[in-house]
Amino acid sequence: MIAALLDRLRQGDRNALARLISLAAQGEGLAELQASLAANPRSARVVAFTGSGGVGKSTLIGKLIPLVRSQGHKVAVLACDPQSPLSGGALLGDRFRMGSSTDDGVFIRSLAAQSGHGALADHLDVMIRLFETVGFEVIFLETVGAGQGDVEVRRFSDVVVLMLQPETGDDVQWEKAGILECADIVVVHKADLPTTEQTAAQVRAALDLSPARHVPVLRVSTKANTGHAELWQTIHALPLRRQHATAASLLLESAIAWFKERYQAAESRHDAELVKLIEAWQRGETPTEIAAQSLLNTLTRAKP
Amino acid sequence: MDHPIRIVLAKVGLDGHDRGIKVVARALRDAGMHVIYAGLWQTPEAVVRTLADEDADWLGLSLLSGAHMTLVPRVLELMKQANLDNVGIMVGGIIPEADIAKLTAMGVAKIFGPGTSLDEIVGFLKTPREPKP
Repeated sequence: MIAALLDRLRQGDRNALARLISLAAQGEGLAELQASLAANPRSARVVAFTGSGGVGKSTLIGKLIPLVRSQGHKVAVLACDPQSPLSGGALLGDRFRMGSSTDDGVFIRSLAAQSGHGALADHLDVMIRLFETVGFEVIFLETVGAGQGDVEVRRFSDVVVLMLQPETGDDVQWEKAGILECADIVVVHKADLPTTEQTAAQVRAALDLSPARHVPVLRVSTKANTGHAELWQTIHALPLRRQHATAASLLLESAIAWFKERYQAAESRHDAELVKLIEAWQRGETPTEIAAQSLLNTLTRAKP
Repeated sequence: MDHPIRIVLAKVGLDGHDRGIKVVARALRDAGMHVIYAGLWQTPEAVVRTLADEDADWLGLSLLSGAHMTLVPRVLELMKQANLDNVGIMVGGIIPEADIAKLTAMGVAKIFGPGTSLDEIVGFLKTPREPKP
């Protein structure tokens, strides 16, 4: 089924693309998908937008889409919203803020993200590869309204845009570890509000304590319609991290995430081999190092 | 594999009354579905594009303006053109008795009028669908 869908995808069938993204979201046929997409170059610029709920991520993406299109690039959006841990349900309400387009060069997909998964939906890497296969040059990634510690988005993207708004936090807030560290660009959105300069100055001061990394701080107002072109130019001028040599450390991060995912899958289906391994380790029969080695072997062999 | 029902909820045309559709959106969310809220003032073309890109199982349209005999057939026609015959469509709002039969004959799976309970809508969506002829 996946091979047939991939054929249709390569012939430009949009419905096949939509279906394949669903399969990736559900974690079906991942190995086959990854294998068949591996040959394609990582050609897209993946730009992540993160920040708390209500800061204006969807709205800003909606304003950037026409700018990107005016330069002739095809643009895809993967917009994550939270999934209820209680009911499993989700209200995916990002796309209606992005304008309703029937432009073939724009593809917007809403995704549900489970809590505890870094404010992102699962298997985004595979979805990004699918878009790259059919020539989407820009991919916008929107996190669930992300909190201070949600830094996983960095793993999937070339550029992380952290969005803040005036009246958030004092100067100590910006000294905390986490989300500010992973930002490549900081946007103070709603820059028509009165305390914009104060917030921008505090963030600037905090960032300047680490002079090795230059992080631009931009003011953008969607209400006053200012700053969007400058933001897009700034995004476009940054190097593509996913292709860059310095991304080697991302391999370890990705490997850990992959390992964890496999472990959780094996755990939830009560994999007999895994249970045996854990029990032997708990009884002290297997030393930790050897148990870890066996765990790695077990999970590598196991079907995802 | 079992996956949550994906449903696009939208209002087409110039009707600006969105309280009803938001109440339905909440109920479907609480029933474990993934609700893609497309919002107000959508064109039939934009709704069908949303359905396609979101790979939805269902479309729910809300119409309270009286434009249903113009807009719903247009959406159905565009769905056919986009090869989305597998997507079920339900309509909610103020639909006169006489039009219900017409819309059903065109391919609308179910029409929910005023006074419908949320349980009824959830129950309808959770009942496995018979494949279309």
